[in-house]
Amino acid sequence: MHVHRATSVRQAATMMAALGAGARFLAGGTDLLIQLRRGALACDHLIDIGRIAGLDGIAIEGDAVRIGALTLHHAVERHAGFAGPLRSLIEASRVVGGWQVRNMATIGGNVANASPAADLVPVLLSLDATVELTGADETRRLPLPQFLLGPRRTAARRDEVLTACHFVPPAGRHATAFLKAGRRKAMEISIVNVAALLAVDDAGRCRSARIALGAVGPVAFRATDAETGLQGGPLSDEAFEEAGAAAAAASTPIADVRASAVYRRHLAARLTVKTLRLCRERLQEVA
Amino acid sequence: MSTRLFRLHVNGAVREVEASESATLLDVLRGPLALVGTKANCLEAECGVCTVLLDGRAVTSCLVLAAQCEDREVVTIEGLAEAGEPHPLQSAFLEHGAVQCGYCIPGMIMTAAGLLREKHDPDDEEIREAMAGTLCRCTGYGKIVAAIKAAARNMRQGR
Ligand SMILES: Cc1cc2nc3c(=O)[nH]c(=O)nc-3n(C[C@H](O)[C@H](O)[C@H](O)COP(=O)(O)OP(=O)(O)OC[C@H]3O[C@@H](n4cnc5c(N)ncnc54)[C@H](O)[C@@H]3O)c2cc1C
Repeated sequence: MHVHRATSVRQAATMMAALGAGARFLAGGTDLLIQLRRGALACDHLIDIGRIAGLDGIAIEGDAVRIGALTLHHAVERHAGFAGPLRSLIEASRVVGGWQVRNMATIGGNVANASPAADLVPVLLSLDATVELTGADETRRLPLPQFLLGPRRTAARRDEVLTACHFVPPAGRHATAFLKAGRRKAMEISIVNVAALLAVDDAGRCRSARIALGAVGPVAFRATDAETGLQGGPLSDEAFEEAGAAAAAASTPIADVRASAVYRRHLAARLTVKTLRLCRERLQEVA
Repeated sequence: MSTRLFRLHVNGAVREVEASESATLLDVLRGPLALVGTKANCLEAECGVCTVLLDGRAVTSCLVLAAQCEDREVVTIEGLAEAGEPHPLQSAFLEHGAVQCGYCIPGMIMTAAGLLREKHDPDDEEIREAMAGTLCRCTGYGKIVAAIKAAARNMRQGR
């Protein structure tokens, strides 16, 4: 296996175009190197994009947020700009693996990897994020749901580097939350993870609700039925229970060594309710 | 398998080593550099025994390629002591009896060293969170946490 270091996105894209199917981009390597070692994946060339300048960092301009692909979970976890209404980003990145993993693993890798259980993905879905893809010739943006096609399958073309995630939080009063269930508290792949965003009007009615779930289907998804049910109504326990039931109904979990399908579906409902309640509490904090 | 020459900065010295292109930092440390204080166990970043500092941050060396480390500073357990004096973490682990079989201790100390570079006065919760990816199968973690707190205190007081 050969390892090539790219010094610019364009160069990485050109290398990928030239090296073809046996090549992979390497960011933090925390997923890729394990897959290679386990023999789950074989490749002849790794294109190390980890030190391309300008690909990391969080920029908040006006309302618009840009998270560079090489931004570490460690950096998201500590970003002061996310300590308020965008707290779900911190909550998700601080439970990715252990401290050492978060010092290497990138946000771009978490998304591009397209694992159904990736912890940042539901959060970014709940923030209506788009991904920025840069190839040899052009840069384009795709809404995250269009980027994620299936387990480990994305809409990125072979030469495209995921360069950033973008989103604009809703105007007005809003709050977010993220919860994950695993077998233990630390170092655990999610059995189910849920991210939510609630925005309210002056009367405290729900202006918009966004609920995203991971690990209960081939890709993480927005529970749109659950969202629609909340729209325009009060943030009551009853409404949250209905949203939880709708989220569970939209789930298509598998059974594996971590949990049965029945348990996952049950958790989808309960975690959705809990996440919504957390958002409601946080809305009261800012009121 | 193709090999190549890597130029690495390890424990303050420039080292040139010949290794497989796909060698991990751990492979190179324990192999050609014979720095065997860094342990090799799960090789999937689950256990933390191979933790070293890379540009001052605790990382599991089993999951970093040597190729990713060129022009970056690597510090292993062998490079922590200064001028023959043990690092305050090493002293505190001894004083607090935080060591049993010892196998995980290089990883524990390097993880803690990464934490203390970032937080000079971590509380118990912050210590436990930082150490969650570094496993000890002998002891409880109580004495380890106490040792890290004591080391942080000594370092703040310039000892
Ligand atoms: C011990 C351990 C625990 C973990 N726990 C969790 C967890 O709790 N939650 C969780 O979500 N994940 C977890 N992970 C998985 C992994 O750490 C994360 O998904 C991480 O964010 C991946 O980022 P990376 O930079 O290491 O990606 P890499 O391993 O470098 O890449 C992953 C994949 O994405 C592609 N890729 C990476 N970056 C780009 C880019 N910019 N453009 C195009 N393609 C790209 C690579 O080609 C590869 O296919 C864990 C991993 C380990 C080892």
